[in-house]
Amino acid sequence: MATDIRVIGSFVQAMMICPRQVWLMSRQICPDEDNVFLELGRLIGSHAYGRERKEVHLGHLCLDLVRRGGREFVVGEVKKSSRAREAARMQLAFYLYELREMGIEAEGELLFPEERRRERVVLDAGLIQQVEELKRRIIAVIYRDKPPPPQKIPFCSKCAYAELCWA
Amino acid sequence: MQKTLYLFASGRLRRKDNTICVESEEGTKYFPVTSLRDIVVFGEVDLNKKLLEFMQENEVVLHFFGHYGNYVGSFYPREHYNSGYVILRQAEHYLDPGRRLNLARKFVEGALANILQVLRYYQNRGKDLAPYIEPIACLAGDRLSLCGNIEELMAIEGNARAYYYDSFNIILEGAPFVIKGRSKRPPADPLNALISFGNSLIYTKVLTEIYKTHLDPRIGYLHATNFRRFTLNLDVAEIFKPIFADRVLFTLVGKKMIGSGDFKRHGAAVLLKESGRRLYVKELEDKLQTTFYHRRLKRNVSYQTLIRLELYKLEKHLIGEETYEPFVSRW
Repeated sequence: MATDIRVIGSFVQAMMICPRQVWLMSRQICPDEDNVFLELGRLIGSHAYGRERKEVHLGHLCLDLVRRGGREFVVGEVKKSSRAREAARMQLAFYLYELREMGIEAEGELLFPEERRRERVVLDAGLIQQVEELKRRIIAVIYRDKPPPPQKIPFCSKCAYAELCWA
Repeated sequence: MQKTLYLFASGRLRRKDNTICVESEEGTKYFPVTSLRDIVVFGEVDLNKKLLEFMQENEVVLHFFGHYGNYVGSFYPREHYNSGYVILRQAEHYLDPGRRLNLARKFVEGALANILQVLRYYQNRGKDLAPYIEPIACLAGDRLSLCGNIEELMAIEGNARAYYYDSFNIILEGAPFVIKGRSKRPPADPLNALISFGNSLIYTKVLTEIYKTHLDPRIGYLHATNFRRFTLNLDVAEIFKPIFADRVLFTLVGKKMIGSGDFKRHGAAVLLKESGRRLYVKELEDKLQTTFYHRRLKRNVSYQTLIRLELYKLEKHLIGEETYEPFVSRW
């Protein structure tokens, strides 16, 4: 593997659900793009909150939405559903963590447009610890020679990697 | 489910706003681009770069066939599933003679196992095929496992296929056609014409599916790679030819759906007429849409999807995750 391993947001989200996905993504083995749920997610991501600022790339970060909220920046992460709420929360926490490393203080907001729900995420000491721990685990997975074997979990049923894993 | 569009008539293929438009003497037809996986062109079709760009954006593969049903080439849009890691692994398995032989053997193994499966099916239906099954089973057994190089593998496959094609005369007893050995350039009789046509379609089917994976179609294992021609699809197609192409042939000829009137003679060559091609394509598409229960995926999958799954298995073999075992039909 390349020496320069950089953890990105999607790895964090994937790590919370399926470490195997992290390994595959790190090799650019991307999922089946024809998967309807992927398309749906992409569609929702691009259509929701059309009036606000979209897709901001900052170094290795790809933020769905950035706006000013009072004194601070608010970083939004748009998700199709809250099914993997915890994973989405950690992804957002990771962005906030990385931004802080760059010297930018921000607040987070999880957005579920289809459910008309928002949720605030603030980076506190506990969350910082979790992000750091998660980053360590991600690097460890990526360094593995082979991907972690597939495990049947509820997410498999709608996962765009399922055919690769279970072929 | 994305479909394959077959163009038999001559005319024009173009982009009309955001759909694909086919203009021919029969009229103008529109096809939503997202519903198409690939387009197979038999007729004299005019197209322009704008169409190709549109095909690239929507990841649609175009396959072209010549006037005689010969494969001309494919428009294989820019790769969209890029993984340097997988390509390096693919090359690594090609460069290492042991690994390459191992994979090549798997393809022949799968091909012969599926051939035997087809023959056993007809044996159970009262055809006396034992004289063909025995020698092929023998080749598929020890002879195959003792093979020391690719040339020997190819020879064994060739021998097995010679027995196999001879058996067509028994399977198709009572049909108006007889096969006297395999002839390709050109096909000397209707059965050979059908075999050639079917095989080329399977090659394009596999190629389209390869486009949807991270594999590079130029690196094959059984068929020599020379980095000019697609070869991986030829390898993988070996497995599917008996169960897709040949079964369609048996149906069409056995049920007398196709007759002498669907072929034409051109010098020494026997070619399928448009009517014959249409019949074949229809039957093949029906076959590929047939679904069966996949035990590991725990759901029904079509034969079309099965091709993709086979490629994923190959990918996993290259990654070093799971040893590749070819698909063998059970029925």
